[in-house]
Amino acid sequence: MERQEFLEKMQNVLQTEKELSFDTELEELEEWDSLSAMATIAFLDKNFNVKIVYKDIPSLKTVEDIAKKAGL
Amino acid sequence: MEFTKEQFFIVTGASSGLGEATALELIKQGASVVAIARREDKLKELKSKCANPDNLYIEVKDLSQDIDSLPDYVKTLREKYGKFRGMAYCAGINFIGSIRSINYQDTLDLFNIDYFAPLFMAKGILDRRNNIGKGFSLVCISSSDGINPVKGQSIYTGAKSALILTMKSISKEVSSYGARVNCVSPSMIKTPMTVGENCVLEDDNKEKYPFGWGEAQDVSNMICYLLSDKAKYISGQNYIIDSGGEV
Repeated sequence: MERQEFLEKMQNVLQTEKELSFDTELEELEEWDSLSAMATIAFLDKNFNVKIVYKDIPSLKTVEDIAKKAGL
Repeated sequence: MEFTKEQFFIVTGASSGLGEATALELIKQGASVVAIARREDKLKELKSKCANPDNLYIEVKDLSQDIDSLPDYVKTLREKYGKFRGMAYCAGINFIGSIRSINYQDTLDLFNIDYFAPLFMAKGILDRRNNIGKGFSLVCISSSDGINPVKGQSIYTGAKSALILTMKSISKEVSSYGARVNCVSPSMIKTPMTVGENCVLEDDNKEKYPFGWGEAQDVSNMICYLLSDKAKYISGQNYIIDSGGEV
């Protein structure tokens, strides 16, 4: 998956109307809650076979941090 | 008037039965309704029955086809009508599901329209970009069979009971942004699905159905209540409407 496609998919994972960039701070998104975290964990697992757990979530500060987990 | 015309609701299965009664009641109470069904002629008939036909918008669609694309379909409806205030999923089919007679394809067809389609319509409408957020209400029609089945209803019962608990789980996901999700489970209601040649009910059992046949409006009143802010503290529930006989 290319980085641009990743960004578009994250838009649907987080279900936010705010246009995401890699610099977007997750804490600034109203939609960044436990459900979005759950959806992010499932997204990384299903698309990149990357397993993260809830305690990894606080270390994710930006969309870029999620991309790095995905290896992009 | 419970609603305003700026408040848009999706009603599926709107061409007959519970869907039709729900669409008519919502319009009567001032709301705008996007009525979805397969048959355009029936939807046009519905429009002519409306208290305010201008507030009814017709969308012809077979929800059992291409179920994976239903969330995108909801998105196109949102782009056309704006963010939705609620949805009543009333589309459904039934057949005699005796263990002697069932086959896999019929079973899949039933699950497509009675379980998978509401699930993926829910996925679309519960996307925060497609609804108003706090105050949004989703109501799915299950069945008293989903709690306490009669014989010959093995498949229908499976789909309807699955729907009840799936929606209960989903209600816990979306409560974070103030959306509500409930089911309504009627028993013997007179609709095109249950009377005439498609009849699958024993209609002379007074113990199970103390008041006999119910009317579609007996159910649509409950649906409209759950869609309204009067029910703003109610979510994750399943309401049985069976005149007290079954459960």
